[in-house]
Amino acid sequence: MANYNKFDKDVSSSKFNVKNIFMYVILIIWALVNLFPVYWMFTFSLKTNEEIFGKNLIGLPWDWRWSNYASAWKTGNMPRYFVNSVIVSAAAIALVIIASMMATYAITRLKWKLSGQTNAFFMLGLTIPIHASIVPVFITLRNMGILNSHFSLIFPYAAFSLAMGILICTGFMVEIPKDIDEAAYIDGCGPFRTFGVVIVPLMKPALATISIYTFLQCWNELMFANVFISDSKFKTLPVGIQALSGQYTTEWGPIGAALVIATFPMLIVYIFMSGKIQESFVVGAVKG
Amino acid sequence: MKKKDIVNGLAVFLFLLPALALFIGILIAPILKSAYYSFFDWNGMGDMTFLGLANYKELFTSKAIGFMKALGNACILAALSVFIQLPVSLGLALVLGRGIKGEKPFLSIYFMPVLISTVVIGQLWLKIYNPDYGLLNSALTKLGLENLCHIWLGDKKTALLSVFVPTLWQYVGYHMLLMYAGVKGVSPDLREAARIDGATERQVNRYIVIPSIKPIIKVSVIFAVTGSLKSFDLIYVLTNGGPLHATEVPSTRMIEMLFQRNRYGMGSAIAVMMIILCFAFALLISRAFKEED
Amino acid sequence: MKRKLLSLVMAGAMVLSLAACGNNAGSTGSTGSTGSDPVGTTVEPGETPSDEDMASQDITLKMWCIATESDSNRHSYEAAIADMAEKYPNIKLDWEAFENESYKTKIKAAVSANEMPDIFFTWSCAFLQDFVDAGKVYCLDNAYQEFKDELPESMLGNSTYGGKHYGVPLTMNIVGLFANMDLLKSVGYDEIPGTYEEFIECCDALKAAGIIPFGCAGKETWCVTEYLESVIEKSVGYETLNDIFLGRATWDNADVAAAVDTFQGLVNNGYFDPNGIALGNDEVKANFMDGKYAFYMNGTWNCADFANNEAFFPKVKVAEFPVINADKATLGQLIGGPSDTLAVAASSENAEVAAKYCFELGKLICHYGYLDGCGLPAWTPYGDTSAVNGLTQSVAEICGNATGYVLFGDTAMNADDANTYLSYVDLVYGCEVDGQGFIEGLANDIR
Repeated sequence: MANYNKFDKDVSSSKFNVKNIFMYVILIIWALVNLFPVYWMFTFSLKTNEEIFGKNLIGLPWDWRWSNYASAWKTGNMPRYFVNSVIVSAAAIALVIIASMMATYAITRLKWKLSGQTNAFFMLGLTIPIHASIVPVFITLRNMGILNSHFSLIFPYAAFSLAMGILICTGFMVEIPKDIDEAAYIDGCGPFRTFGVVIVPLMKPALATISIYTFLQCWNELMFANVFISDSKFKTLPVGIQALSGQYTTEWGPIGAALVIATFPMLIVYIFMSGKIQESFVVGAVKG
Repeated sequence: MKKKDIVNGLAVFLFLLPALALFIGILIAPILKSAYYSFFDWNGMGDMTFLGLANYKELFTSKAIGFMKALGNACILAALSVFIQLPVSLGLALVLGRGIKGEKPFLSIYFMPVLISTVVIGQLWLKIYNPDYGLLNSALTKLGLENLCHIWLGDKKTALLSVFVPTLWQYVGYHMLLMYAGVKGVSPDLREAARIDGATERQVNRYIVIPSIKPIIKVSVIFAVTGSLKSFDLIYVLTNGGPLHATEVPSTRMIEMLFQRNRYGMGSAIAVMMIILCFAFALLISRAFKEED
Repeated sequence: MKRKLLSLVMAGAMVLSLAACGNNAGSTGSTGSTGSDPVGTTVEPGETPSDEDMASQDITLKMWCIATESDSNRHSYEAAIADMAEKYPNIKLDWEAFENESYKTKIKAAVSANEMPDIFFTWSCAFLQDFVDAGKVYCLDNAYQEFKDELPESMLGNSTYGGKHYGVPLTMNIVGLFANMDLLKSVGYDEIPGTYEEFIECCDALKAAGIIPFGCAGKETWCVTEYLESVIEKSVGYETLNDIFLGRATWDNADVAAAVDTFQGLVNNGYFDPNGIALGNDEVKANFMDGKYAFYMNGTWNCADFANNEAFFPKVKVAEFPVINADKATLGQLIGGPSDTLAVAASSENAEVAAKYCFELGKLICHYGYLDGCGLPAWTPYGDTSAVNGLTQSVAEICGNATGYVLFGDTAMNADDANTYLSYVDLVYGCEVDGQGFIEGLANDIR
């Protein structure tokens, strides 16, 4: 944590008055409340059903059952499912970023009649409950011939995150002064070059945000993954984790272990990324 | 001049193409199909019988379906979300965004519940609320408040709130990060200038930061409201609409109709109503923000 | 002795008319096989392939089931599939297992889009009926001829529609009254009381000693029905309840109302754990195994689980629920029957081969499943079955003396009615309606 001292320069944090101490107490309590699920998930993954169901709720495991990890990892093909989840999420994120940046550029920075209506049309995407259209989407994917492949998840995930991507992009893009476009036009840039050379580099802070929010939609999604994929080769983690619960009986320890396997790498990537996000904000701030 | 218009038109078309193709192909076309199903009595596989608006009529009048009550619950959640959850998120974003000591670790930690799967969050809260050995009842007993102990998720009176608390809590970090990105986008020079003019932290937030992150706040409010109307996962894990339908929301009704009762037409009708309501709310919120400007 | 028990089971099963869904479905079978239905035409059974045919063609069959790797049935599927691979090296079985609840959505969506695998797992009665009505299931009448001797026709009742067979049953289960004998002994009972009066006395004694008699998961309504249906059956008799479940009689029945009041009396007397209303079945079962409840009424599929817990197994016994009204009901009237079923898709390119394969596979899964204690066999047992755990054998004994079965209400009724029924059961358990309200509401709301 010593690394963060460089943010020390701020005037208010060097003042150690009562108000500041009070603020830190609240921040730390809230941090503990938010860290608790991580601790709980980790210890839960090392326990027996008996402990999980009341005997030992929040203590450390009586007997650290690392075997739960072995059984979670061996069930089905967890490494494969993990890779599939990464492929599907990464592809969906890339698709959302490209499509939403382009669409937002057309909506907010090019002049044409229906831009307002188009924006409203995309907002419809926020309103559609993911479960509602499962059968029609299933039939569409079948007609496209992409059932049982990564694409049968990439396209729907991207489509369902698109509206959000456009909304976030709009929030950032309207902040970029119009003069920049004007200047580019005067320099002889068409809309395509203006977009590629001038706008995209300024959108870095939006990229990180869109990535995280798209990722959240894809990584734990179960409904589509369950219905559209019937071949183990393409199954994703949530489906694999579900397979750990039996029809009549369930061992919760290995489920906890599988959830840790699914979550912790993401937590680590996120912690790493949140540093990047901050850097990107510094870059973004120059624009103001 | 004319050439420029053509280039511009072509640019609009090409820039919109990927998004539109994806959006219409996978979202709009299927949902129109669902809207079509909503006029039929259909179990999802056999013959379809045309009913006209009968599904919608039943939706709003049948006590057994209880759509209005489910909708009411979702509206309560939306209100709690906008008036409690978002201010908390905004407060955290403002405090962290001004660059206090420990900004980064706090930011990472506050976002963690969002990253953790709903299954885990759901199981954790089941353990918190468990009437026999749950953390909440144990804590109350230890504090000598036995009379406040409760079957939190089993009592019609407390179940709704008990389900909403974790739902709201889990997504505080979600909105916080969104707003934090906005706060960080505010030019440091602008802040500095205000400070030099003698503005307090509170005044800087009130007159400089909040106005400039308004577009992001709008996004957050829209997400919060539509998310509440569509909320499903955690409620499904915690109570699945029970006890005695006390915690039903539109999504739990829809899932029951679509996949448990095999009433595909009725399930689709609920979906259509949810879309209409969400869209209306989203437009209203946008309008409200525009008028403020 | 053990052998004798098995023959008893089968003897019992043979003479019974198991809850036959098809009986109420006069209109059902016809839609499945009318010539006007484009898919229905393919449902007509073709020639049964001879053994040579089965051995000569090189084909791949796809199968979906719910035997995930942590399911107690997993081993029986693996063993059965290995045996089949040895017998038919030319037939490749591509099988995938999905989690129980999400499988229901998956198979329904697949049926809607006509993207079914050749062989699929299904629940019998109403669940399968929708698929059959839509003409998506292959009729197994021809393929069945060859297995008549090993699979009693009475076991096919739940998957027979309009007189045609559409499913291969695997295991069957009933509702059992499980008891923690340590707790019963502590209040002076060495056996599970056999009559209702003694049973109530026992509950009172338990209550007086500070022991909760029953644990029941109110969050999962099917767990409540395990109690309620047993109480109703032992009050009104199995024929009455069966007729009501299958739509042959109305819910408007004063005896049922009285039975529901009896059940509610048990709730109001404080025999049930009040916390149960907020708990799921996993939690309640854990409580029972932990000695918190004296009784736990649930499916006999729990036997394998109880038997696998060394500390708990010596304490637990199983019995059937005592008779409440001896004028209408007798011992031997049970709740349950074969529900786990395999079926063949009408759209399968190799439907004939798949049908025969399905029967042989089902027989093996049933065999291994019984040895593992996952339930009672729907097929005539064979081989050495002495290793079956003691609890499952007690269940076999109960079934051996059975005189009638009523299938679980939510399986017997169509999906819409079943959920209406479940929501009224919720109301009863929450004491929001009494018996009269229950029968009136159901008589009105079930179409």
